[in-house]
Amino acid sequence: MKRSLAILATSLAHGLAITFGLFLLFGAIPGDAVDVLASAGDLDESQQAAMRAELGLDQPAWRRFLAWGAAALAGDLGTSQRFGQPVGPMLWEAAGVTLQLCALSGALGILLAFGLCLAQAAGSRGAQLAVEAINLWSIALPTFCIGVAALLLFSVWLGWLPAIGGLLAPVLILGIDNAGQIAKPLSEEVAEVVARPHVMAARARGLTPLGLARWHVLPLAAPVAVSLTGVMLAGLLGGTLTMELLFGLPGMGALVLNGIQGRDQPVVLAGLVAAALAIVLVNALSAVMQSVLDPRLGGRE
Amino acid sequence: MRFLALVLPGLALLGPWLAPFDPLDQDLLALNQPPGAVHWLGTDHLGRDVLSRLLAGAGTTLAVAALGTALALLLGGLAGLILSGLGRGAEWLGFAVVDTLRGLPPLLLGLVALAAMGPGLAPLVLALALSYAPLFAHVARTARRREEAADYVLAAVVSGAGPWRVLLRHILPNVAGPLVTLAAITLPRCVVTESVLSFLGLGAAPDAPTWGRMAADAARLAEAAPHALLVPVTAIALATAAAAALGNAVRRQVDPRRA
Repeated sequence: MKRSLAILATSLAHGLAITFGLFLLFGAIPGDAVDVLASAGDLDESQQAAMRAELGLDQPAWRRFLAWGAAALAGDLGTSQRFGQPVGPMLWEAAGVTLQLCALSGALGILLAFGLCLAQAAGSRGAQLAVEAINLWSIALPTFCIGVAALLLFSVWLGWLPAIGGLLAPVLILGIDNAGQIAKPLSEEVAEVVARPHVMAARARGLTPLGLARWHVLPLAAPVAVSLTGVMLAGLLGGTLTMELLFGLPGMGALVLNGIQGRDQPVVLAGLVAAALAIVLVNALSAVMQSVLDPRLGGRE
Repeated sequence: MRFLALVLPGLALLGPWLAPFDPLDQDLLALNQPPGAVHWLGTDHLGRDVLSRLLAGAGTTLAVAALGTALALLLGGLAGLILSGLGRGAEWLGFAVVDTLRGLPPLLLGLVALAAMGPGLAPLVLALALSYAPLFAHVARTARRREEAADYVLAAVVSGAGPWRVLLRHILPNVAGPLVTLAAITLPRCVVTESVLSFLGLGAAPDAPTWGRMAADAARLAEAAPHALLVPVTAIALATAAAAALGNAVRRQVDPRRA
């Protein structure tokens, strides 16, 4: 419990520090709205200063950060400079698409990796080969390359999937890649568990493969599985970014990238903060789960 | 694959002499041509020779990835070694920053760095270095702590070696191994990250022939010239696999225990 609280406190500090850093980079830029108006030639020095004071732009960065943070917590993320819309709903809509992609491909990756590892624990030679194969696949072939190849093969040459907007191909590509990342270490852990004397004794007594998985493999491999899943989910965000762009999905990656290209600072800031905080949250949850599942970790630090 | 790891840098170096055409030359009478006798790998949507661009891009892609990895090793390794020797307060503060960055995926950090610095090759190298440096800092600190507790270092300290002598003669040679191992793992990741960032339009200048940029240009016109897309993407996949194979070989050399 104490350790979980410590993890949460550290994560909160990380999240705040990252948010402040991003705010300094993208929220507190020197070229502000007053400069834009002044460049039209209508404002003299004192009018500019008065306007800055009115907008709060003469305040130190930390004060503006507090003001921005308070507004953000109340749901007001500013207005898009490019589209003149509030950023909050734009972000909400894009996050939905990305979350869907993350959840589906994450679930596929976990199911595939666990299924294969459990089949391997039950003695399936085919599953072992499949683990090696998808591991090699995810190391050697970046999702970006597979995505382009899939786009060409299915959309352009075979005409099967709609090239734009379809979730199936990105979910499959990311899911298999995720499975490949975690299957190998997971299968090593499972092989180690299966080789333990008490597990071998249980098998000798005639425990079914399903019982073996349920009573021996899952409890012992759970902490490793949780930590691997955390790593996988944190890395997933980078993968969704490329998939969104390749397959034309209107998610967070597309939103932030369009913001960067259109110099739409409020959108960039909100998108990056949301993405970074999501990753910090996933890392924190996985660390807490790990310390709960594996009490040994508590005494180590 | 390891063979390819030797061939690719060679091709990148010799690229300017091997290339049959100028990679920037546009032949508007030969747009989107499939591979053939004149243009071995065809032409792209502006009539530029794909093979020549591929060879020119090899230099950029490999140099950016290698420089990014080297700079990450240097920055992260130095930060780890220096911070862990500064005493508790400074070490805690320094590693608080390192840990904060380490949680974020490199692609996101690269995106942030390039969005803040603007596109270009130098920012791209710096973005890669900053994204991967935190890992190096951690490995450097862990390796240093382990060596400092070893008997031979204690013996050196007892027999009167100063802190600098201990650091340079005893710690550094033993910290170098894990750092080089990590660099070997980082290199292929840098190849991919560079390609993706260039693909997103945040890397090199728009007409610079990098593989990621070639793929991005061709992706919009995949139906007219699928070869212009397939060629750079295959090159990226091959380079990644080659860098991964090279990394494995280096790791076995440097760290035989874990082979």
